[in-house]
Parts: sequence; C-alpha cells; structure tokens
Amino acid sequence: MDVRSAVSTPVTQYTTHRRSKSYGRTFDATSRFCYTPGQLTITRIQTSRETAKARKITDKVDPEQVALLVKKEWKLSYVTPLYQFRHTKLKVYSRHLSAFIMAEKQQGMAVEVGLEAGFKVTFSTVLGMAETKDDAETVFIQIHNKPVFASEGDAPKVVWSGWLTCINGDPEYLQALPPEFVSLPLFCSSGAESLTFLVKSWFERTFDCSFGSMGLDPTDLHWLAALWTGCHSENNIRSLKLVWTLPSQPPLDVSLTVNAQDAWDLWDKVRQQDSTDNSISIEEVKRFITGIESHFFRHFKVYLSAGVLKKVSTALGSVHLDGKIKITCSDYMTTVLTLLTECAILKMPILPGC
Amino acid sequence: MTEASILPGLAGAADCSNENDSSCSDISNKSLRIAENAKKKRQAEAPLLLALKYFSQVKTGTPRNGNDELYGYLEQVEREALAQGLAPEAVSIMLEFAMSLRMTSAISSRVLRFLIPASVVPQEAVVRGFSWLCMQKLSQPTQVLFLRWVLSMFDMIDSKDNLRAIYGFIFSFVIDETMCPFICHLLYLLTLKEHVKPFRVRKLLDIQGRMGKQPFLMQLLALYKVFCPEMVTLTMPSKMKAGFKNHNSTWKVALAALRKRNISKETHSMELTLGVRQHPHRRKRKFHHLLVPALTPMMESSRSNSRKGVCLQQLSSFAELLDNLNSIELPAQMGSLLSSALALHYLDCVQDESAFLRLNFWLGHALHEEFLFGPVDGSSESMGEAAHFLSMLVSTQHFLQEGFSSTEGFLYKFLTMWDGFLHRPQILELLSDIPLVPSSYIKDVLFEPLMQLYFTSSVFFKCSVIECLTSMLRKWLTWHSVCAQEEGLDISLNNRSTMSLSLSGFLDSVLKLVQFVGRLTSVGLQLERGHTLLLHHALGFYETVSDMFLKYSLPLFVMLPPGVFFPALLATDPVSIDRLGYIMFRYRQNLTSAKEQQKKQRELSLHINRSVYKEFNTYLVAMVAHLWNSKSFSPRTGIEVSEALLERTKVADYSKSFDLIHHPAFLNYAIDFHQQCWPERTDVDLNSIKVGKYWEWYVEFLFTQGFDGLRDFIKVNINQASARQSIGQPLSQPTQPSQPTAVSSPSS
Repeated sequence: MDVRSAVSTPVTQYTTHRRSKSYGRTFDATSRFCYTPGQLTITRIQTSRETAKARKITDKVDPEQVALLVKKEWKLSYVTPLYQFRHTKLKVYSRHLSAFIMAEKQQGMAVEVGLEAGFKVTFSTVLGMAETKDDAETVFIQIHNKPVFASEGDAPKVVWSGWLTCINGDPEYLQALPPEFVSLPLFCSSGAESLTFLVKSWFERTFDCSFGSMGLDPTDLHWLAALWTGCHSENNIRSLKLVWTLPSQPPLDVSLTVNAQDAWDLWDKVRQQDSTDNSISIEEVKRFITGIESHFFRHFKVYLSAGVLKKVSTALGSVHLDGKIKITCSDYMTTVLTLLTECAILKMPILPGC
Repeated sequence: MTEASILPGLAGAADCSNENDSSCSDISNKSLRIAENAKKKRQAEAPLLLALKYFSQVKTGTPRNGNDELYGYLEQVEREALAQGLAPEAVSIMLEFAMSLRMTSAISSRVLRFLIPASVVPQEAVVRGFSWLCMQKLSQPTQVLFLRWVLSMFDMIDSKDNLRAIYGFIFSFVIDETMCPFICHLLYLLTLKEHVKPFRVRKLLDIQGRMGKQPFLMQLLALYKVFCPEMVTLTMPSKMKAGFKNHNSTWKVALAALRKRNISKETHSMELTLGVRQHPHRRKRKFHHLLVPALTPMMESSRSNSRKGVCLQQLSSFAELLDNLNSIELPAQMGSLLSSALALHYLDCVQDESAFLRLNFWLGHALHEEFLFGPVDGSSESMGEAAHFLSMLVSTQHFLQEGFSSTEGFLYKFLTMWDGFLHRPQILELLSDIPLVPSSYIKDVLFEPLMQLYFTSSVFFKCSVIECLTSMLRKWLTWHSVCAQEEGLDISLNNRSTMSLSLSGFLDSVLKLVQFVGRLTSVGLQLERGHTLLLHHALGFYETVSDMFLKYSLPLFVMLPPGVFFPALLATDPVSIDRLGYIMFRYRQNLTSAKEQQKKQRELSLHINRSVYKEFNTYLVAMVAHLWNSKSFSPRTGIEVSEALLERTKVADYSKSFDLIHHPAFLNYAIDFHQQCWPERTDVDLNSIKVGKYWEWYVEFLFTQGFDGLRDFIKVNINQASARQSIGQPLSQPTQPSQPTAVSSPSS
C-alpha cells in the first residue's frame, strides 16, 4: 500500500479547503509551524538607516503636486491595507466621496443652509513618489467647498486635504499581502476634524480598512533631529529647536534652541567615531541627543533625559510627538516619509501570511 | 373634552371615586368598606394617577396659598418626571394645566421646567399649547419658556403635520420682539416650500429693517431663499454663521440623565439567536473602533466582478441562507459579519483568504486601538463597552470553535502588559482559544507573562489560570483528534511514516504545556498551602492529561508531579482522593492499552519512556501502601520520614494514620460505619473495622458514598481475592502495576 500518497492527498485538499479564518494559522499541521517569533512584532525596529541625502524630488514628481505636500502641518494616521483599491478608479471615488459627504452633512436636516454646502472632492495620484517597486503610488485628496450664497466670481475653496502614501515600505510585509490589497499605510490629513472623520468613514466602508491615529515615539523624534541636523552641511537648517516636557507638578516645558552650526559640530563629532558613511546607527543618534541633554545639564542642572522630547523643528521641517509633521523642504521628504511609513507599518495589527 | 378619556388609567381612578360618592346613599356599609379598600389599594398603586387627575380637574382660581394638596401633587409629579419622565398622556395634562394658567404664572413655569417626557410628546398637546398662547394671557417669561420647551423637545414630538398646519398662527408671533428669535427657530424647523409666501418674506424683511440683521432672521430668510430664490432678493453674506442657539439649558441635565437610564435598561443578550443582533445604543465616542460595522453591500465601484449576488442583509432565516449559499456576496466590511448570528453561519463557510485577512485586520485594529494604543479610559461606560465587545468575541469564537489569528497576536502583546484584573474572564476565555503554539516560542509568548501574573496574584486568579490552561489543552487535543481523523493523518501506531514532523511538533507543544502546568500547580500548591480549590483545578487538569492516549489518541504520557500527587493523597477532603484515584485509574488504562498495542505491533512506533512506568508504579505503591496496607512512611512509599522524627509527633501508630479508616478525609465515614455496625458500643475502636468481613463491608460502604474514582482505582489495582485470604492485613502487593515495568524493558 502506498501510504504516502494515500495520506498526503487528503491533507492538501483539506488545507486549501479549510485554510481560512485564522489567517496564517491553519489546521494544516505542517504550515502551522512556519510561524516564527519574529513575526509577532511584525517588523523589526530599525537600528540603522541611511543618511538624509538631498534629492530634487521635483525632478521626479510634478512640482505643483509637491507644493501641495509641503509647508502644511499634517496630522498623521495609519491605515490598514485597502481592499480592492484601484488607482485607475480615482474619478469614481471622487464622485462617491462627494456624494457621501453631502449625504452625511445633510443628515437630520431638512435643507442645509450656510457655509457647508456644495462639496467637491478630487482624487489624484502623485506619480513618482514611490521609491521601490513594492510601494504603491501616493494618492492625494482635496475637498473644495462653494457656499450656496457665494457670489458668482468666488472660486471654490480648498477646505480639506489629505494623502495616503507608502515610501520604502518593508518589502517583506508588502509582498506578503495578496494582490487584492493596496497598502498605503501612512495617512496625512489637514482640515476640519469633521471632514477627516467623514473621509475616514468613507474609506473604511469602501475599502474595508481601519484608521488609527499615529502618535510618534520619542525615539522617532531623536532620529529626525539627527537626520535633519546631518543635512546642515548641504542645506542650512538655521537652528535646531527642541521642546521637552518634564514630569514635574505642574508639567514643565523646556524649549531649547541650538545654533545650527553648533548642532552640526556636535553631530559631526558623534559621527566621526564611526567610519561608515551612508548609514547612521541608533547609537550615534543616542549619543547626539545625550550630548545635547548633558550640555543643558551643565548649564541649568536639569536632567532633560527625565522628560520626554515633544517637538523638534528646523528649517527643513518640524515634528510633534502627537503625530503632527510639517515638511518645509521637499528635498529631504523621502527620508522623513520613509521613517513615517515604517512607524505606520509597525502599527499594523497583523502580519498576513508567513 | 374630558381628561378622563385621554388617560385610561385615570379614568379608572375617576370611576372609583364616583362609585364611592354614590355608594353612600344606597349601598350597604359592607360594600362601602370594600370599595374603600379597593380605592386605598389603587391609591397606593398609582399616586401619580391621582395627582394627574387633580391637575386635569382643578378649577381656575383655586386658591394657591396654603393649598397643601396642590403642592403635594406637584411634588409627586415633579419627582416622577425627573426620575422616569412622564408618559405622553401625562405630558398632555400637565402642559394643558400650565398653559391654561389655572394657577399663577409661577406654578405654570415650575411645571414647564420639569416637564420631561419619557418617550414622546403628543403633537396635539403642543398645538393646544399654541392655542393657549394665542389667548395672550401668559406672562412674557412663561411664553418664552414654553417656546424654549417646544424647541428643546422638538425631536420628541410624535409628528409635525398639525404643527405645520398652524404655521400661519405661529408665524404671527414673529412681530413680538422677545419671542421672535424662538419663533424664527421653530419656523426654521417647520418650514416647507409651500410655507414660503411673499407676504411672509415682506414681513421678515420689515422686521429686519427694524431689528437689524439678526442671525435668526437671516437664517430663516436664507432658508426661504433656498426654497424660493425668486422671492428673496436679499444677498446673503457668503460667510454666515450657521445654526441657532441652543435653548435647552433648563432641561439638558434631566434629558441626558433620562437618556442614560434608558440605555442602561437595554440588556444586551449574548445569545446566538438567528437574526440580526441589535446594536446597543451607544454614546458617540471619540473612538469608535469597538463598533461592529453594519452589514452593507459592496459599492459598485469596488466590486471585482459584475456578477451580482445576494446580500447577506436580505436574508432573514437559516433556510434562506442555505438556499443562497453559493451566491452570497461578501459585505463591504468583513467585520460586519460578527454583527449577526446568521452571518456567523455564513462566515463558517467562507473560503476566501482575502476575506479573512480583511476580518483580521479589522479585529486586530479594534483590539489594538482599544487595549494597547488608546489612552486608558476608566469610565464605567467604556469599560462596559469593552467588556461587551470582548464577550461578543468570545461567543463568536466559541461558535466558530476557533480563535482568530488577530486575537492571538493581540493576546501575546496584551499579556505582557496585563494586570491580571482588567476583563479577566473574557481575556482568559480568549486565551484558551489560542491555537497550538509552536514549542520553540511558547515560553516567550505564553509562559513567561502568565507565570509572572500567576505567582503574584491571589489563589483565585491561580485557579482561573489553571482552568484556562486546562481548557486550552482540551481544545488542542480535540483539534488534534478531529484533524487526525479528517485529514486521514493516521497517527495510530501501526503507521510510522505518518509520524511526521507535525506530530512531533504537536507533541512537543503539548508536552511543554503539561510540564508548565505541572510547575505552576506544584509551586502554587506550596505557596497556597495546598489550597483545596487550587488542588481541584490541578486535578481537573490531570484528568485530561491522564486520558490523552485513549480519549484523544495522542501517544503522550506525562505523570502528574509529586507536588500535586502527595497533597491530593494527604488532603483532608475525600473528594481530592477520589479524583486522584480516578486519575490513577485512567493512567493505568491508558498505559496498559498502549502497552498492548505496542506488543501487538512489535514496531517501535510508540515509544513510552520507561521512567513514566517507573513514576506510575511509585505512585501506585505509595497510594496502596497509604490507603490500603497501612504502611505510611515506610521505605519505598514516596514519603520517607526518619523514625526519630515520626516518634516525636507522638502519634502512636503512625503507619496506619493514612489508611482508608484513619485518613483524615475518611475518618468520619469510618466512625459512621462503626456506629452502624456496632450501634451498642460506646467506645470506638476503629481498628475493629480492619478485621475480616468488616473491611470488605467498609470498602463497599465507601463505594456507596459516591467515591467512584476510588472504586475504579481499587477494583483495578487491588486483588480482592487475596485480600479475603489475608485477614487483618488487607492485601499486600499491588498485583498488576509491576507488569508494565516488566514489559517496557525489552521494547527499548
């Protein structure tokens, strides 16, 4: 009796039949064990990254579109993968989202009068933003509004804008997703909270995804402070402004502005100890921040390390611990967005497949 | 109009009093007394009805000062209104009373201030209110109060067509400067296109000319302009402040409290009945991630193919589900399948991987946001919501008989930060649903965090952890036995080739789990000084472990640790010993049956470690020596204590102290038995039970007390025939236990 075939055939049949709800954990005994502990944390936390190199992003991407992304403060959220999202259907989405917003706004009202009438939504692709072949193209959304009683000449005003992006997303994670899903894990929004809510609801209902607000980690802020400071030799950062919150009663905010050249000198000193050119390690970043903190202690006898770094700002951009970011200089956009994409993917609740 | 006709209950009360009046003349005293009693009874039942009756009948001009009756009733209604809200009929009566100004304005405004409807406000009451308003008798503050009341309760008015019918009357009040803002607001809410008339527009513009560009006038005019742009030539500012002021301050608190009470009254049934589960009424939370989305069909734009199927929400019965099973379309949001039991049935048949990925993304997100990322919201309402969500998840997973992988991933993270208290029942239930964890990291994700919680928590938490792990083990074993059958993965011993990696992996994990629980229970029992409840949970676990081979066809034998065996053997409650007897009985059955199979097949497919037999025999010897042979503490019985130490205890015959007669757990049975045998004897000599037939009778007596485990143990392990021969020394050698040991050696 050929035991092997008699046994293995039903196994495979059963597997395809049953491989289901506990995605990645199935009844098939052999595949159950390919689950490794590394996957529980989903993606590894980066301990080193490339230095920020100035890159004229406007060479690759339409400058007009880049202009829409910079110099505005964005509220960050993460989004789970979008099911059945198609970049080719943006026109349809524009129409549907407009209709959805109108319907929601008019709920419970006989007729809406006043400011909030006549919403128009436009979806567009920001081509050229993607860095790797796994990155989906960035999608930009704008909501225009024209008041009912506006005079003829009034142009519709942009009341809300937002975009979904993925820059240098973890390839292992992106490739594990079935093709029906598009992962644009980072969502930036700017505009009325109520409209953000409606846009999120529409996305949740249409693409079966979920949004969560994305607070940042102090370590992320450390990274950005170091990355931006490292750019000073190419692009003047003017100054490095840092704000800490100290856990005293009442909480004490300490803001420190470091002269750009001084910050760069410190960074350079910290860097020189490592020979590798293109990558920065987390140790270097830690040394840099510790350097600033101990300098502050020498003068004011206050341990900043006891508090939490809340805000970092330079001429290249600013970032807040609650998940707000402003990119002023488009040349370093890719570096910042790579870091933020990574943070967003870290927030993903599950890792598909194995 | 008689008020009695509005209020049926009140009509009854009115009848009663009429009957009472007439009865004085022509009905006998007896019936009078009965009527009086009935009246009293009804009074107690419905003091509110009497109060309402009073207000519906009280005449204009009734003196107010010193009228205790009035104030008593007023307080009665007020209390009721603020506590429960008033029924629609009661609202009508009280509004009528206030607006008709039968007492003073002060009383009227007091009534309006507490006029909180329980459900709806009858439209007719409001219309009558306006007719009273037209009489122009009310003071200005009362008029405004009435309008504010109408605006605040507007959403609760049952229908608005009759109010729209008197649009003209209401409009006529706009000329009153104090009432104008409120009237404008009300008109704004009532206006339909046919209400917009040139004369009204002119009137409003006229007033605007007098009062200036007041926002309420502008709002109303803007609405008119939307309906009939040709009538309103006025240019509206493109930036206009939207909305009217809220006027509900007087009733805000009471209404909110009422709403809250109504919500808490709704009980959420967790039963998996057919049909769509109702969403519990929720407050608008800032975070809505615990809301199970509603079943909605996919949008046309995102549909992958044009084939149109049946939407789940169109189905209402299981039969319909079966008929349409192949053409059902997945909903827009997979999470919505958790909202109804019918959908869960469908979920069980879904085979689309993407669909489960969607579901897991949604569920994982909800759990992460609520319990890992979100700020801690300790309010009882959000705690209740979270508990409700988790219970829903528990019952869903039980229904599907499988845990979601997103739940699993979440639990691993949550365990490391759990305090062991938050939503304990649900978390432990979910934990027990975790599918088999590979042995390579079971320690890191499961054992380490659980151990920390276990050893730092109360004995009751320890019990629930052991219970949870028992249930987990059972689910793993059940999965294994079902899977082995369904997959044709024959793990029975004649087939060595199928003893694949997967089986050994499975065995590894189960072994790790059993060993882990062994450590937990041994140390836990020591820490808790052999707490009976904990001991029982430990024994419950080993009841499953001892039966793994026969019940779940898993060739794995792990004996219970001494840390559980001896506390159970020396326990002071007979139930522990009975359960221990049952466990030893099952171990024996499993080992013997494995041995037989092994012998039959002469193959080395089933390897049982010799040490298992050795351990089993040691326990068996110990148990027989203690319970049967009266040889406690003698060498080779497991517990060896130096004689010097035993003598210091001053127990005369210590070797007997744990036999079935003297064991603290059975002592009262022995005394009971002794009394039944020799009812006339006053001195109790328990040793006499050991003599001759009495010992057999005593053992039989014990069996009749429900110690089935003990009976099974004794029947299998002790040769009763030899017991009969050797009088006074009930059986020496456990006859069979040595056999397994003997057989195991050649096979290895």
